[in-house]
Amino acid sequence: MSQNSSGKDDQASGSKKPISLPISRVRLIMKSSPDVSSINQDALFLTTKATELFVQHLALSSFNNGSGKETNTLSYSDLANTAQETETFHFLTDILPKKILAQDYLNSLEQMQEEEGADY
Amino acid sequence: MDGDSSTTDASQLGITGEYMASSHYVLQPQEDDGDENLNDHEDGSSKENYREQDIYLPIANVARIMKNAVPQTGKIAKDAKECVQECVSEFISFITSEASERCHQEKRKTINGEDILFAMSTLGFDMYVDPLKLYLQKFREAMKGEKGMAGVTVGEGLSEDLSEDSFTNPLPAGIITADGQQQNVMVYTTSYQQPPAPFPGGAISNDTALQLKGRGFNPTLLFSRQLQR
Repeated sequence: MSQNSSGKDDQASGSKKPISLPISRVRLIMKSSPDVSSINQDALFLTTKATELFVQHLALSSFNNGSGKETNTLSYSDLANTAQETETFHFLTDILPKKILAQDYLNSLEQMQEEEGADY
Repeated sequence: MDGDSSTTDASQLGITGEYMASSHYVLQPQEDDGDENLNDHEDGSSKENYREQDIYLPIANVARIMKNAVPQTGKIAKDAKECVQECVSEFISFITSEASERCHQEKRKTINGEDILFAMSTLGFDMYVDPLKLYLQKFREAMKGEKGMAGVTVGEGLSEDLSEDSFTNPLPAGIITADGQQQNVMVYTTSYQQPPAPFPGGAISNDTALQLKGRGFNPTLLFSRQLQR
């Protein structure tokens, strides 16, 4: 039987352990937000549990949405696409930029430089 | 590095980044490679040494949840796992700052469960709210049940928050005393020693009895010899 890091008792919820994420780490992340003084235990539990739901939600949406159906693999670009297309995941677009080939980057860089040159 | 930068030009220009946005260009500096080790080994006590965005949940836990979410035969790319790890930290910060704002508006200092649930429905995660309420209920019942049993901890993270009350129940001291006759009285106590109330018959504390024995006096024998005479 695999033990999860928070080590919850089995008898708490029957067959499945309630939480599989380390609560102390979640609290650390929460406290790194500005102006957060203290966090109620309920709030901590809810956030941890919600994070679990979020991971499932994001993974499944991205898998179904993207190329996963053909390749049967969840890739980074699936996640990036889902973040852009799904309203709920819009807040992730900053940290999930889409990949472009370096050649395309170089081309647009040249374009930008030309534009800058035209301004002067 | 998964070789997306397929042209040699990239290396000539010294570009090491893999992920580039269409509107702005994100180049990953080399130092970020070290962050992967920091994520899982950070001890939390020296939080100031890490940038805010470096604190992540362990990738093994995240990967396990992802694996359970996608169909059985599905696979997950390594960069997808790392990426979700970052998304998770972003999500937690997102919810927390919204909840914190509401808390401040209502002039409270502690973020409670209601704030979190409210933040979630505000931010478009209202589909989580109902399942979360159920889980919270189950969790509370579990906590009550386990607190009833003396000294059982619920989880390593939570036990930090639990008060120490459940651990300080002193075990009852077993006291065997006589009822005031001229006999020695041996008082037996456990390690949680409670000083016995003084008895008219003269209770001898554990220490005293031991002292007497140590000097070669066995109180029991002493009295019985007297009786024989």
